[in-house]
Formats: sequence, structure tokens, C-alpha cells
Amino acid sequence: MGKYILKRLLHGLFSIVVVIFIVMVLIYGLMDRMKLFRTDPQFSKQINNSRTTYMYQKWEEYGYLDYVPYADYLIDLARQGVIDEETRAAAAPLGRAEDGSDDSELTKEYVAKFYEYAEENGYKVIRLGAVLSRGRLASGGAQALFAYKDHSIPLRLWNYFKGIFVIDNVHKVPADQDIGARKLTFSLYDPIKTAQNGGKKVFSPVIMGNGTLHKYLLYFDSRFPYIHQNFLTISLGTSYSVTRGVDVFRSMTQRQGSYVKSPLTYPTGFQEDSADDLHTATYIQGSRDANVMYQQRYEDDYTSVQTIRSSMSRLGYSFFIGIISTIMVYILGLPIGVLMARYKEGILDKVGTVYIMFISAVPSLAYIFIFRGIGRAMGLPWLFDMDNFRKSMYILPIVSLALPSIASMMKWMRRYMIDQMNSDYVKFARSGGMSETEIFFKHVMKVAAIPIIQGIPGSLLFAMTGALITERVYLVPGAGGLLMDAINMYDNSVIVGVTLFYAVLSVLSLILGDVLMAMVDPRISFTDKAR
Amino acid sequence: MEDFNKKYNMTDAELFAQIDKDELASEKITAPRYSYWRSVFRVFFRKRINIIVLVLLAVVVIFAYVYPSIIGFDPQVNPYIYVNEPGGQHLSPKDAIEHYGFALKWLFGAGATGAPTFDAIWNGSRISISLAVICAAINMTIGTLLGAVWGFSRRFDMIMNEVYNILGNIPSTLFISVMVMVFSPSFWTLVFAMTILGWLGMAYYIRTRVIIIRDHEYNLASRCLGTSIFKIAVKNILPFMTSVIVLEIAAAIPGYISSEVFLSYIGLGMSEASLGRLIYEAQTAMVTPGWGWEFWTPVAVASVITVVLYVTGQNLGDASDPRTHM
Repeated sequence: MGKYILKRLLHGLFSIVVVIFIVMVLIYGLMDRMKLFRTDPQFSKQINNSRTTYMYQKWEEYGYLDYVPYADYLIDLARQGVIDEETRAAAAPLGRAEDGSDDSELTKEYVAKFYEYAEENGYKVIRLGAVLSRGRLASGGAQALFAYKDHSIPLRLWNYFKGIFVIDNVHKVPADQDIGARKLTFSLYDPIKTAQNGGKKVFSPVIMGNGTLHKYLLYFDSRFPYIHQNFLTISLGTSYSVTRGVDVFRSMTQRQGSYVKSPLTYPTGFQEDSADDLHTATYIQGSRDANVMYQQRYEDDYTSVQTIRSSMSRLGYSFFIGIISTIMVYILGLPIGVLMARYKEGILDKVGTVYIMFISAVPSLAYIFIFRGIGRAMGLPWLFDMDNFRKSMYILPIVSLALPSIASMMKWMRRYMIDQMNSDYVKFARSGGMSETEIFFKHVMKVAAIPIIQGIPGSLLFAMTGALITERVYLVPGAGGLLMDAINMYDNSVIVGVTLFYAVLSVLSLILGDVLMAMVDPRISFTDKAR
Repeated sequence: MEDFNKKYNMTDAELFAQIDKDELASEKITAPRYSYWRSVFRVFFRKRINIIVLVLLAVVVIFAYVYPSIIGFDPQVNPYIYVNEPGGQHLSPKDAIEHYGFALKWLFGAGATGAPTFDAIWNGSRISISLAVICAAINMTIGTLLGAVWGFSRRFDMIMNEVYNILGNIPSTLFISVMVMVFSPSFWTLVFAMTILGWLGMAYYIRTRVIIIRDHEYNLASRCLGTSIFKIAVKNILPFMTSVIVLEIAAAIPGYISSEVFLSYIGLGMSEASLGRLIYEAQTAMVTPGWGWEFWTPVAVASVITVVLYVTGQNLGDASDPRTHM
């Protein structure tokens, strides 16, 4: 069994890699890159050479290529100590001509080096001459020299999978930073809670780090799941446009809605009503010196904190709605399907069949709007509003999500039951004098439920992904909307991240389904010997 | 015997004639004349509801395919000839008929641009139905053929199972959305996106059915008697598959219409004025009181079309199962 599961997991891992590869080829290889600018208001403002450089800058931002302007190359050389600041400043100005004929001698020398460097590293160089109008530089027409290199897809794939699990350690802060002793410290008394309590010690074990990315690596607080860790973070790719600069995994799991402010004592002793969650502090180099507000509040560069908000995360909303509707599906769909099979051709069977037909045939959009219309007429809230929360807001999304799944549950349960009713063991039981009800509930149902049981892990896991259409119709701020936003805004890394999330769920639910089926059905065995 | 003789006043020789034993006829196996397709239609038309559904289907096909070409509705040339009509936009059917006088095209009112919703809907239906039929035809053909080979050949089975395990993990909505994003959102892009992986499910389903039927005793017997694989496939297995295939097509066509509507609704549909596109464009009008017609009429027509197609297919599928021909 263990060997079998391991084999399946490896297979699953391989197929996840292939799926991500396919999506990367689609997005980075086949998609027309100019599409990124179709909805970009900044793009139309750029003209002449600045439009070209803007395009390459954006492409770098969106992860298509590596873009190195000549000026950055010189700055890099100066930083490495190859040239001094004076030479850098003197070599930086470019001549206006495209072929470089009016460059100064020094510039010519470094431009030649730049070309050499680009060729060595496989970069392509583009030099744009100044665009002039009436002898003067046209708007956006400044001369430009830069090199670029497309990221190859296998390399991108490797880097992506390498970066998914980030383990925090004391060498995360750059080595040239003087931050004192780099170490992990364990304390029984949480300094934040202690400060909050007016300096009186509060018992709450905490592991803190210096030199790590997160300041607090393990801590307790009053929010679910009460114990939190920052040793291992999952990163699925940084968003560019949907949630600027935030990792996909975090934008799915971080709380949303309005700030929950409470009196807070900062490490410096500064007090303020704030929604900051000091336990989430991460290191940002030089941030304290750059910002007066941070100097007032923090003692070190661990200044980037998340905020405490009133509502659940995207994943939270999707999962809550999904899980309740899944439970409804099993509670309602299974018994109705069983009864439809038990009293075949009866009134329940006929009504149920019409319902199944309605759900299977009518476009999902149509019946969701019909349910919404009915719910609205009954006075239920028909749009989700995080700031004005009421429990009844959940009713319509949950019902809309459950109704179609109930129909398919009824359909399959009925079909499995009826298939079983014609099998030999049922005829045998009947000839042995068992009552129909006994045969039905003691034997047929057990066998017919097995394929249904196989689907349970999948339906529970996929409750998390959120229903695209339901969430959109009712404006639920769930995970389903993330993918659609990403596609509409060409946010490539979010698309890849969400795909990975879906693929992992799909592989896991298949494996768990088979394992669960093997557990309830003694006839199924995964070991070679028993087979 | 004697009673007969008395009754008809005839002798035995007059009543009975000796017939010679026909050696040839005794070799023939007699069975009632059976024609597969005639039986399919006999069973199909036995249900009254099917006649109603077929009439509805004919109406849908005429309105979707014949009507737009008769009235010359061409969204490319000048669909919105009523744009400049003062007060000609966002009309309910009642207002439209009051405004223009009664005509078939004002039956569903007028849209945001003043174009008759009725015409736009049927033109959109033509595009949506065509998309669904083309996608279903491609997926079902490739799926059935590959599925049959997949079921018969054990070596191919091993390769295809791996392919299925890998590609089956791609969520189809995600894949179609990404494809539409990557390529331009046109009719043929959508066909491409829906068919490039769409056949896989059908092929797997057919493969499983073929494996089940392939190992039945009568097929083993048939092979022992030296029947070729091709003949077994066509004569022994295909009749069982016909109803399965028809049922799958019946579920698939409304399914494609449904996903087209859905994709358009989330803004990823095609640029042609399909049903989904109409619904997408009428979204904003829906929340305005009195303008709901623009949204609900295409939704209602889409529902009627899918239900008619679904019911026809289901009942045709039932009728094409030889076991119902008794």
C-alpha cells in the first residue's frame, strides 16, 4: 500500500511538472507579448524610444526576459569596484547617433565592453539613436542602449519549482549588513505581548530570529490556528497586476476587508490605535532609516508587517461556501438518489429526473440567475458585502453551488443503485427470501456507495478552489475570482501559481479517493500479491 | 376431423394437400425482419413528447439558420440601423411594438444600440449552436476512434493511460481560459481551445466501454471462430456503442453551449455576437429596472435551445439502444 501510494505520488508530481510546463509554454512562449499593453494606459502615453524601453521594462517585470540598460551595467561595474564613480559618470552619456559615431572616447570604450559582456552572456543588444524633431530632441526620443535575454522555459520551470518552498534561516539578511549577532532565540515570554501588557511578563513561548527574513518564527496569538510558524513559507509566484508585489499563496490566504484597529504598543514604546500585526514583521533592508514613521515605531529593519482585517481570506470564503454546499450535496443528494432508485417510476423519481434534466441541459449561468431571482424575491440578500456582513448572505451562494451538484449526485446514485439491482447477488438474496428493503439498504447501498466514496476527497479539496461563476454572480471575494482577474489582467505568475494549486489538489484528490475506496472496499487491493 | 368433413362437406383429400419437404428452407434460420434504424425511429416516435420536441427543434433550427439569412441580419455590415432612432434604445417588447408597429423582430424589444433583440438572439444562437456542434463533432469523432483503438490495443493502452493521467489533471476551464487569453478570442480559437483536450474524456469513456464489451464471452467465441478484429469492432461492439455515443453527444452539445455562455460571461468569450456575448453585453442592463428583457431573453432562448437538444439526444440515445427494440 505504502509503495503504491509513493508510486502514485511520484506520478502525480511528474504530471504537475508537465502541466506547469504546458501552461508556461502557452503563456511565455505562444502568447503575443504586445497583448500586455492592450489595457495599459501608460503605454499609449509613451512615444518614440521611450515606448520601446517601456516595453522591455514591462516585459522584465512580467518575467519574460532579463533587461539590462547600459547605465545599470556601469552602476554595477562601479559597485563591484571595477571603475570609480567619476569614470562611471563620464562614461554614461551616450552620443545621439545610432551607430555610436559621436560617442566620447571613454563612452566608446565602455560601450564596446558592454557589447562584449552581452555577447558573452547570450544577451542581445539594442541601440536606439535619438529621435529629433526640428533639430531638437523629440518627446520620448532620448537615445537608448540596452541588452536583453529571454528566459528559457526549462530554466524558468526549474527556478519556479526551486522557489516554492522557502526555508527561513539566519543568513537571509545580506551578509554585508551589520545587525548584531545572527541567531535564533527562544523565550517563554513574548516581547510583543509583554509590551502590550505594560511591561509585565506574559507567558507565551516564542522563537525569534535575527538575520532571518521573519522576526517571529514561532508564536502564539488569539487568532485561528493560534500557533503560527514562519520557518517554512510557500511561494507560488509574485503577482504583478492583480495584487501588486504580493505572492499568490499569500493573496489567497491573507485576510481581507476593513482594518481592525486596537491600541498597540510598538517596540519603541510608541502607542497608537493600529491594525498592524507585529508578529508578522519581515526584514526590509534600510527601511527604518528611510521612513520617519518607522523610526518612531521600530528599533530595527523588521518593519514590514501585515494588517489585521475583519473578514476571511479568499481561500477562507471559498472553502466555507464550498464545504457547506458539499455537505448539503451528500446530505440531500444521496438519500434522494437512493429513494429515486428504490421507488423507480414513482412520483419522486419522475420529479427528480426532470430536475436532473433541467440542471444538465440549462446553461449554468441561466439557473444561477434564476435561483438568484427567486432568492431576491424571497427577500434574501443577493450580493455579498464584506463591510456590511450578515449571515444570510451565505445562503444564496451556498444553495446555488449545491443545487447542480445535488443533481449529479442524484443521477449517479440512482444509476449505480439500479445497476446493482439487476446483479446476480441481489437475485440470490431475493430467492433466499430477504425482503426488498433489507436487500436494498443492507447490500445494494453498500456496493453502490463505493464510487461515491471515491469522490469525497475530491469534492472536499475542490471546495477550496471556489466556484468561478457563483462567486462572480454574488460578488463573493473568494479564490475563484483570482484566476479570472489574473487572466483579464495578464498576470502571468498568478496564472501559473493558481494552476499549480489546482493541479496539486487534483492529483491529491485522485490519490486520496483511491486510498479511501480501498479502505472501504475489501475487494480492492493495491498490493501486487493480492492482485 | 370428422367434424370438419361434415361441416364443409369435403373429403380429406380435398381439405389437405401434401407438401414436399424443402431441404433448403429448413436450413434457413427464420427471425422477424429487423432493421436497426427503422426500429430506432419506431421506438423514438412511440413517445408523444418526442414529436413535440422534434417540432421545437425544427423551429429552433429554422430560426437560427434560415431566419437570419432571410432578413439579411449581418452583424458585420450594419446591424444597428436603429442607432439614430430617437428613443429607440432599451425598449421592452410593448414599447418597441408601440414605437415601430407590430413586427416579429420587435417581439423581444430592442437592445442598448436599438437593434432588435429577437434578430440578435437568433443570429447569436446560430453562432453558439454551430460552435457546439462543431466541437461535439470533432471531440466525439476523435474520442470514439482513439478510444476504440485505445481499448483494443494493449500497448497503446499503456501509453495513453500515462497521457491521460498527466493531461487529465489540467482543469478544463483554466485551460480554455488560458488558451483564449493566449490567442485572439475568435470563433475558431474557441473551437481549438475546446477540442485540443476535449476529446480525452470521451476517448477514455469509450476505452472503458470497449474493454468491458471486448472481453464478453460472445466476442471470445467470435474470435475463436476466426472473425477479424475489424468485423468484431463493427458488428459486435459498435451496436452497443451507438446509444452510448448518442447519449454522450446529447450531453455534450448543451454542455458546449453552456460553457460558451459561461466563458463570455466572465469576459473570455469570442468576439462574434454569440448568445454568450449578448448575455455578457446585457449584464449592465439587467440591474436597470425595465431593461431586464435584454438579459433574460437570450438566457431564456439559450435554455430552451439546450433543453430541446438535450431531450432529443437523450431520447434518441435511449431509442438507439438495441435492448429497447423488443
